[in-house]
Amino acid sequence: MRFLIIRRADADTEAGRPASEELVEAMARYNEELVRAGVLLDAAGLAPSSAGAIVEFSGGRATVIDGPFAEAKELIAGYTMVRADSLQEVVELVKRWPTLDGGGNVEIEIRRIGETDEYDMSDELKEKEHQMRAQAEANRGE
Amino acid sequence: MRFMVMVKHLENDPNMPEPDEEMFASMARYNEELVKAGVLLAGEGLHPSDQGALVTFRDGVPTVTDGPFAEGKELVGGYWLLEVKSREEVLEWVKRIPADAAVTSRVEVRQVLSDDD
Repeated sequence: MRFLIIRRADADTEAGRPASEELVEAMARYNEELVRAGVLLDAAGLAPSSAGAIVEFSGGRATVIDGPFAEAKELIAGYTMVRADSLQEVVELVKRWPTLDGGGNVEIEIRRIGETDEYDMSDELKEKEHQMRAQAEANRGE
Repeated sequence: MRFMVMVKHLENDPNMPEPDEEMFASMARYNEELVKAGVLLAGEGLHPSDQGALVTFRDGVPTVTDGPFAEGKELVGGYWLLEVKSREEVLEWVKRIPADAAVTSRVEVRQVLSDDD
């Protein structure tokens, strides 16, 4: 199973305050642990929402709203993708998240990623989906 | 530049149609376009939060809340990672996401930091 670990935003991440060297090192050590455990698939931080946008679709029309956006807690500051055997395994990994991050006050969401074979779609579409994934992987240079 | 494009919605929204073959097919066509343009790095759908958990740290102490944990807020339902040349380019792609005209939906576009940032 694959899971997306979402580090929710807060006032500091939205302000674009650079992480301290200690925090950068702590996150690097944590990610190394995930690598050694053979579970890490991807991890990245996001720029503050001031560099982003929301596209709202209504009645088939798209409207672009430039960032920044209020409600920092509903935004995402970064993500980590892992492969694990169970949700519990991921919960245990997340409980060891560096407490330097957010001064020990952070919210982290764990979500299971859907796999192609779990969806109720035709074999033809599943095949297309597999091809799309192979191509995306090639684009990532893996 | 790399962007994370997230479709956000309320869980259990009664106006949200169940995904069917037609919806999967239009999404597959859109993904094919992204592949042909060489911009697609990843595209994933997420299960509802009842298959997940929320870990809240307070003063370094974690508390685990089992899903569902939507709390009436919008959650990420799925996302794409796209490699493009500019913010304008990613917004052009986002505007072409196959959206159901009967539903209002929001797509959040966020720049992914690289090691150089």
